[in-house]
Amino acid sequence: MTDMELTAAPRDEFVVRELSRLGRHSPGPAFSQHVLARVSRPQPGAVVLLRRARAWTLEPRRALVLAGGYAASAVLALWLVLPWLAARSAAIGFGAQWLSERALGAVRDAALALAGWALASGLAELVRSLSPSGERMWLVLVTLSIGYAGCVAGLHYLLRTPRGKNVLVVPPV
Amino acid sequence: MPVAKDLRSLTDREVVALAQAGREAAYRELLRRYERPVFSLIYRMVRNRALAEDLAQDTFVKVLNALDSYRPDHKFSSWIFKIANNAAIDQLRRREIQTLSLDGAPDARTPHELGATALQARDRSESPLAELEARELGSAIERAIGRLRPEYRACILLRHVEGRSYEEIAETLDLPLGTVKTYIHRARHELREYLSPLRD
Repeated sequence: MTDMELTAAPRDEFVVRELSRLGRHSPGPAFSQHVLARVSRPQPGAVVLLRRARAWTLEPRRALVLAGGYAASAVLALWLVLPWLAARSAAIGFGAQWLSERALGAVRDAALALAGWALASGLAELVRSLSPSGERMWLVLVTLSIGYAGCVAGLHYLLRTPRGKNVLVVPPV
Repeated sequence: MPVAKDLRSLTDREVVALAQAGREAAYRELLRRYERPVFSLIYRMVRNRALAEDLAQDTFVKVLNALDSYRPDHKFSSWIFKIANNAAIDQLRRREIQTLSLDGAPDARTPHELGATALQARDRSESPLAELEARELGSAIERAIGRLRPEYRACILLRHVEGRSYEEIAETLDLPLGTVKTYIHRARHELREYLSPLRD
């Protein structure tokens, strides 16, 4: 079959002419919206990771356990576990002492540097004027802990995924 | 960042590159460019409007979700027509499609639906008589196309309705170039036979 046979056959002119005059059909008006609703556009890697982590975390039961465990462990670690371990285990105490000496040394150096800067900047006067008592400090710490746990629980209920519902995402026109 | 108006001046490859970067406007532009050609091809292949719309949707979803696998050394149009044709051929193999009068879709029940789904093949500026004749001729051609073998149908539609080159049709349909030419030659021959009463 040569191109000449295909392009120059005069007996086909009628057919070719009529074919080329055929119009195009149009799909329904919502066609593109239906297509786009089923298309997943590529996302930057960080966004994908964040969404996966969020989806994993926000599964209701898992999120409750996570939030509860996180809050409880944070409170326990702060108020009970670390002082208890340090006081009762000689080995841990030795290590903790060594670490704490190091840490305290570093903190002391930093504090001295900070104090020098604070004295130089006049911040010391402001801190001295506050002079919080022991009772006030406890109150602040307890309030902060309760507020922290409340925020965790509140975030869970605000961000939880709709259970058992298929939500159709229709992109804007 | 090009706006939708600028996207129209870009090539398919450039629009695809923007779509691969996640630009929604690029997705819409690809849809705008190809929704009618793809739908027309599938509609003329399967001859059922609702089914053609479903298959065209599936085609676009498949293509747009697989843009990352698109190779720029191939024409985007060839790729999308290949997927559309495969969807139509698969459907034709699965079930026998009843013939359709392109005066209106087979699922149209009322005269209004028939009119709304009828093929608009001719210039509206023609006189009523010429329009009627042209409409009858257009319907006869559509019916004749429907009588062709699916392989011939795809070739003749891509060549003479979509204006694709033989090489592109061969690439689209995964056929040797010679086979494409033979199919088109035979399809024209059969159409000539079907339409000979009209010519006389």
